Amino acid sequence: MHTPVIELDGVSVRKSNRVLLDGINLRVSRNEFVGIIGPNGAGKTTLLNVVSGFEKFDGLLRLFGHAESCNRARETRMRVGYVPQSFEIDPSFPILAMEAVMTGAYGRAGFFRSPGESERERAMELLEMMRIAHLARRPLGHLSGGERQKISLARAIIQRPEILLLDEPISNLDIAVQMEVLNLISDLYERESMAVLYITHDFNLLPKCMRRAVFVNHGRVVFDGDIDLALTGPMLSGLFEYSLETFERNGRRFVSFG
Amino acid sequence: MVENFLEGLAYLPVQRALFACILCGLSCSLLSVFIVLMRLPLIGVSMSHAALAGAVVGMLVGFNPVVCGFVLCLIVAGALGPVSDRSRMAPENMLGIFFSLLMGIAFLGMGILTRTKAGALSLMWGNLLSLSRADLVILSIITAVLLVFIISFFKEIRAVLFHRKLAASSGVPERAVYYTLLLLTGAVVSSNLSTVGGLLIFALLIQPGATALQLTYDLKVFFLIAAGAGIGACVAGLLISYLFDLPSGASVVLVATLIFAVAYAFSPKRLSGKRFQRNPHYEQDTRRNLPGEKTVF
Repeated sequence: MHTPVIELDGVSVRKSNRVLLDGINLRVSRNEFVGIIGPNGAGKTTLLNVVSGFEKFDGLLRLFGHAESCNRARETRMRVGYVPQSFEIDPSFPILAMEAVMTGAYGRAGFFRSPGESERERAMELLEMMRIAHLARRPLGHLSGGERQKISLARAIIQRPEILLLDEPISNLDIAVQMEVLNLISDLYERESMAVLYITHDFNLLPKCMRRAVFVNHGRVVFDGDIDLALTGPMLSGLFEYSLETFERNGRRFVSFG
Repeated sequence: MVENFLEGLAYLPVQRALFACILCGLSCSLLSVFIVLMRLPLIGVSMSHAALAGAVVGMLVGFNPVVCGFVLCLIVAGALGPVSDRSRMAPENMLGIFFSLLMGIAFLGMGILTRTKAGALSLMWGNLLSLSRADLVILSIITAVLLVFIISFFKEIRAVLFHRKLAASSGVPERAVYYTLLLLTGAVVSSNLSTVGGLLIFALLIQPGATALQLTYDLKVFFLIAAGAGIGACVAGLLISYLFDLPSGASVVLVATLIFAVAYAFSPKRLSGKRFQRNPHYEQDTRRNLPGEKTVF
């Protein structure tokens, strides 16, 4: 077992008398790909926001062995990459796709310095890997939702994160683009050495490399274990409070209504 | 006619007015980039009403109304970012609340004031031909600070304008950049109250940025176009007002609007959008650059 890069001990988030997270305990090691799965409103995004430093919380959060709060050092932030569900942008906004990717390298470059030539080459290499290098000079607002999500992924990867947080990164994409982005996430995970927290509520579209699932419901961890043990009819029915069953096809497990 | 203006330049008030026009056009137009791209159009009018409220309060308690206006403007600008972040309200909504609160304070104060309100109201109109040396020094310092800030932190500003949360996640000090831009907006508005005044400055804080938005996808060029449009509108407005004996503030605003209208009518971005609608494969053509697009990142 590797050293945990993320450790949550009794982490809670309360807002206006509502409990969003209720004493979460979680440990994630370097090079681990963890799926955070749960119904809408379960507290998945709040959990991600706690780890990324965008949410105040009670309890103990350790990143890379150091206790962290919502206000954290720039150096720590740089080590945690974040990909949102999607983001809207005005088509006339003055930023090109390549420039948007490069913003991920700005923090690491530091003040009064631009990212170097090696970073630009790496950005182009990432875009080539994602098969969107030909769009590098396009205004970001002119790209489709799927292309923008790939740019968002490249922006997070160029940051060289040791933890990558993915907040339902394929939920707004069509099925073909969903598969493409999923494969891309798997390839990036294999290539880069990082821990990944992947939020989803769609178990029919899980990355192949996800071997561990954490079920969250009502702000609590209700299951934490192997993905094969997680994806069973009774387990999912309990989580979603709805009759669900699983079946296998071509070596993959799928979920359907019971 | 132009000779008349050139002859007028021999006089100190006209020299000061021209210099103030250039500084006002430059400072407001640089901020307009931030205001247009962050969609905070109310910020200019909120800041100017903060100045008005401050001036009225100053008159009520017997302090210098201009200094009080300047100070309240800075306080509001400094408080806006933290208050909207802590309350988790969109900054534009928070601006609306600040705006109505400050208007309420200003009008309440004016209702209570028994003597002339001209000292406070003069902040809303400005007067280019009655500027003092101190006005110009303050305006020069604030414009210089703004310019140095934009040049020094250009990449951080780009990241924040693009997406605040993503900028923060990649280690860019987005709060510091964002709050500084808000504070500088307050400083620019308050230092320009004596030039174009609190009401008409609203136009200069929007139109140069809106003009640049029609013309380019490159943020550096965007700043340059906005600065050119802002300075051009101020200088041309002053010239027109001098030649035709018209109010200077109104002339400046009308010229700025005209520049925007021309940019909109001939906007290559808008026209390329129409071209795209006619040809859905336009986006697939990677050999051509779009208008206003550069190849260097």
